Amino acid sequence: MTEYVIIGDGISGSSAAETLREEDPESSITVITDEGEALYNRILIKEHAKGKLPEAPISIHEEDWYAERDIELSLNTHVTGVDTDEKVVHTHEGDEIGYDKLLIATGGTPTQLPVDDSDAEGIHHFWTFQDARKIRESAEAAEKGVIVGAGLLGIDFAAVCGAQGVEGKYLMRGDRWWRYALSGEGAEIMHEGMREVGVEPVFDSGVDRFETDDDGKVVAAIGPDGERYECDFAGVAIGLTFNTEYLGDIDLEQDNGILVDQYMQTNLEDVYAAGDITRFYDVLLGEQAQNGSWGSAKEQGRIAGVNMAADDEAEEFEWVSSYSITHFDFPFLSFGHPTLGDEHAERKYSDTEWRRIAFKDGKVVGGVLIGDLSPQSKLKQLMREQRDVADQKEVLLEETVDLDDLAPPQEQ
Amino acid sequence: MATTTSTGRSLTLRRVDSVAPDATVRHIDQLDDRTLERFYAALEGGCQLTATGTDLVPGTVVVATDYYRVEAA
Ligand SMILES: Cc1cc2nc3c(=O)[nH]c(=O)nc-3n(C[C@H](O)[C@H](O)[C@H](O)COP(=O)(O)OP(=O)(O)OC[C@H]3O[C@@H](n4cnc5c(N)ncnc54)[C@H](O)[C@@H]3O)c2cc1C
Repeated sequence: MTEYVIIGDGISGSSAAETLREEDPESSITVITDEGEALYNRILIKEHAKGKLPEAPISIHEEDWYAERDIELSLNTHVTGVDTDEKVVHTHEGDEIGYDKLLIATGGTPTQLPVDDSDAEGIHHFWTFQDARKIRESAEAAEKGVIVGAGLLGIDFAAVCGAQGVEGKYLMRGDRWWRYALSGEGAEIMHEGMREVGVEPVFDSGVDRFETDDDGKVVAAIGPDGERYECDFAGVAIGLTFNTEYLGDIDLEQDNGILVDQYMQTNLEDVYAAGDITRFYDVLLGEQAQNGSWGSAKEQGRIAGVNMAADDEAEEFEWVSSYSITHFDFPFLSFGHPTLGDEHAERKYSDTEWRRIAFKDGKVVGGVLIGDLSPQSKLKQLMREQRDVADQKEVLLEETVDLDDLAPPQEQ
Repeated sequence: MATTTSTGRSLTLRRVDSVAPDATVRHIDQLDDRTLERFYAALEGGCQLTATGTDLVPGTVVVATDYYRVEAA
């Protein structure tokens, strides 16, 4: 009987556990998480923080779910070390859990701002359900908010401020939101969306330090130019630090994430990784890449489970990731790797409609759609087919994309 | 990947302002590509969609720019 141990009960770990049970009914499966609750819907917790969604629908698995599948779930258990020679996992309580095959699915933790008082009361980071509960409570009582981090997670704080009636200042380092994926024209649509919910973008700014009152509660953020922004709520989303500390000095190949191949195998025998924490070999891109999205993490967990159970390279991970923003009147979708690419094509269609496509070596590798998402499936299809289309940008920028208008693919 | 329903029933999307605690709620990023395409097409074209080939079932609330409850047509 094979003993599988999975560290992390996020969507990647949980999806691997489910797959392992289906693929290897006789095995022993242990899932270890340092959170106090079983798998929940991490991509819905922002709706709870906004005050729009009650807690119950956010839960995905009750503890029964694991028991019914004969999966051992250890809640509130922090893994402190892994010995890959002895094949043992150490926990904070001093327990040792042996494994035949190990899956590392521990994701990341939001990075703190390296400034004074960055952990003062009223300053929030957003990753867990517990964070969401605190953010909701704090935002409900707040009047003025400051947000730092001009990316996909920062904008959730802007939406919380908007929904909770908190007057927000969104302090951004450069001249626009998500400058690595959007041009000024596309970003301006997002800025307008923020303004409409009562959050003002402030450019070429940031936080040099926070000010607190005598009780240690945040009262203001000070920008690099000395500008003072009063606030009783602050949201910081400047990036993720991957949870690899407990892996110590084992010989696991890492490069800002754990390196895995397309089968989710690390360089160490019987050690796999899945989800946000991986830098995986992307078969479509032809190089290592990273995704930070729910669908990708779920699929990586499934693929890891299939290959762990098969004890073979049975199925490879091939996926076009996507990530939506649903906070404004218009939809937003980023897909693939919009920040990569050596060429780009973009067009604005109306005040709320914009499209940008990223190409690498002539092929579509990602993009961002605002307002009109109808081309998404066709653009993803081109990515999967790895077609050389960078010389036909006009067709891809037509309001209605018709793939039949593309020149037929060249025979290799 | 996607689980599919085998019926050819029609579904409609109804915009809702609140969600009951016992509702099944899915974020739009949990829909597979085909369901996502149908979902957006339905929003454009009068909120009707065919269940076949999608993984949507009546009663589910989908979180998009608004909240939509999937209902049998
Ligand atoms: C606020 C927010 C909004 C998001 N919105 C979207 C969205 O709209 N669309 C989208 O596609 N994606 C979104 N994401 C990203 C998405 O949630 C992640 O990509 C996905 O959940 C990653 O899953 P994972 O299993 O890899 O990691 P995680 O979900 O982070 O799970 C890792 C688990 O491991 C546990 N752990 C870590 N270290 C240890 C240890 N030493 N011992 C034991 N347990 C440990 C952690 O506590 C955690 O429970 C959002 C994320 C957040 C936080």
